[in-house]
Amino acid sequence: MTKKMRISIPGLLLLYAFLIIVLIIALFPIVYAIFGSFKPNAEFVAGGSRLLPKEWRFENFKEAWELANFARYTWNSVFVTAISVVGILFLNSMAGYVFDRADFPGKKLLLGSFLATMFISTGSITLYPILQVTKLIGANKSLWGLIIVYVFGVNVTNVYLFMGYVRSLPKELDEAATIDGCGFFGIYWRIIIPLSKPILATIALLTFKATWNDYMMPLVFTMSNEKIRTLTVGVVALQNTKDGAAAWNIMLAGTTISLIPIILVYIFTNQYFISGITAGAIKA
Amino acid sequence: MDKRNSLSKRIKQNRVAYIMLLPTIVGFIAFVLYPQLWVLRLAFYKYNGYTPPVFVGMDNFVRLFTRDTVWWQAVGNTFYFSTAKLLVEIPLALILAVILNNNLKGRNIFRTVYFLPNVTSTAVMSLVFYFIFSPYQGILNGILQSIGIISEPIDWLGQGSLAMIVCMIVSIWQNFGLNMILFLAGLQSIPDEIYESADIDGATPVQQFIHLTIPMLGRMLQIILMLAIIGSLKTFDLFKVLTNGGPGHDTEVMMTYIFRYFFVDNMSTTAQPQLGYASSMGLVATIIIGAVTAVYLWMSRKLEENY
Repeated sequence: MTKKMRISIPGLLLLYAFLIIVLIIALFPIVYAIFGSFKPNAEFVAGGSRLLPKEWRFENFKEAWELANFARYTWNSVFVTAISVVGILFLNSMAGYVFDRADFPGKKLLLGSFLATMFISTGSITLYPILQVTKLIGANKSLWGLIIVYVFGVNVTNVYLFMGYVRSLPKELDEAATIDGCGFFGIYWRIIIPLSKPILATIALLTFKATWNDYMMPLVFTMSNEKIRTLTVGVVALQNTKDGAAAWNIMLAGTTISLIPIILVYIFTNQYFISGITAGAIKA
Repeated sequence: MDKRNSLSKRIKQNRVAYIMLLPTIVGFIAFVLYPQLWVLRLAFYKYNGYTPPVFVGMDNFVRLFTRDTVWWQAVGNTFYFSTAKLLVEIPLALILAVILNNNLKGRNIFRTVYFLPNVTSTAVMSLVFYFIFSPYQGILNGILQSIGIISEPIDWLGQGSLAMIVCMIVSIWQNFGLNMILFLAGLQSIPDEIYESADIDGATPVQQFIHLTIPMLGRMLQIILMLAIIGSLKTFDLFKVLTNGGPGHDTEVMMTYIFRYFFVDNMSTTAQPQLGYASSMGLVATIIIGAVTAVYLWMSRKLEENY
């Protein structure tokens, strides 16, 4: 419930001043990156306090796109994210459906082990055996390795989110479908999936955000092969090259390329995003 | 006999369910369970990734607990970072949530923008902050100099204690909106009538906040804090990109230090990967984070009982 306001005019002004200062701080780095991506590098070298470029240099994007390989990195990110989102939606929703609707031997054990492993955080070191497994199936040299790990690496939160949603759908639907000749998979595919669009949208957004922004996993996966770097890895990698200091404009162009899709998606879907984040935190 | 029959019958009946779960189970074993067991085993081995692993018993742990002062510095930094930044981030998020829970003009815009930093990539935005805080070309020193607050540029990331504060600021920037959203969800489940009757009893807004809002948030507050603590202890991307643990090891945290022994780059302290040693650190990190979580849950339960 939203409370009614009981506050004096000066108090209200102070309140708004505070809110606006926080708003500016929240926006500043993003705005700085976007405007910076249009500055010629000389403007950075000169320093100063100017946020807007004196001279708008659109070639930054052309150079990033062509010379710094960002065309390739962008494509890699799009490819990995798109396939991962579809794969994760399918696998996690199927698992969530089975866990809610079927009562099979071993169910408690499986759910228990899924939950238990959520609390283990050994850090980057588990990436080594994960890489080994992808090597074993011959997928470590391409982006497919990364995709396979994202899709099959069981996202427990998603499974729980979908489980909770399926629980809210009446079982009578299943029974009616069974009478009409639907099997256990048929009910999932024809009945549950079409009814679960809101939760699927939420999971898709959370997955898109996580995959598009991820750094550690693609960093480790692309160490031996620069061609398959994703956008985040590609942008940050420039920082450590010897001409890194001279390429702020290119790095910020790359940053902008990586920020725009996620910001656009967020602006148009922020209700889903926010309700998804809330549900995910409480469920998990 | 009868029981076994019914078990095999139940398995048969659920054949389709098992088939549908198969990819998830296989993935779980290959990419979750096996890697964790691998780490558990390798913690007792010496392994550089090239020559076969050699069993060394407790050597890695002896080294970790008795000789590796940098590891303990990293543990200390991790706790310092998490505690200090959450002491700012959580109250800030709660205050903003309480304000935006009112029927203010523009509350949706504020809410949407405050959460925006959380949808951006930590690694990429850490790079942007690296530019902002850069001593000579960075815009922050530029602004501070132009309005006369400082006369000389400050080397934000070049001094350990300052660099750590910068890392906290970046982390707060990215996460306060997330916690605010979660607090808002908690606040919206508190019924209006309670505040109305408190108004009638003449309780001031501050009294209402302390005696009504905080206790009513109860469980939600517990979850938010726990997620925030675990998340902070596991921070990696931010430190890797912004400071890479430096200067020296002043901003080294558990996750960046483990990474040094796992992957060797030009910033590393060793010439070869030390996967066994990194595994033992990963194991100890898990136990530390697990212990913190357990202590936290125990304490918050105690508090709840005494409230």
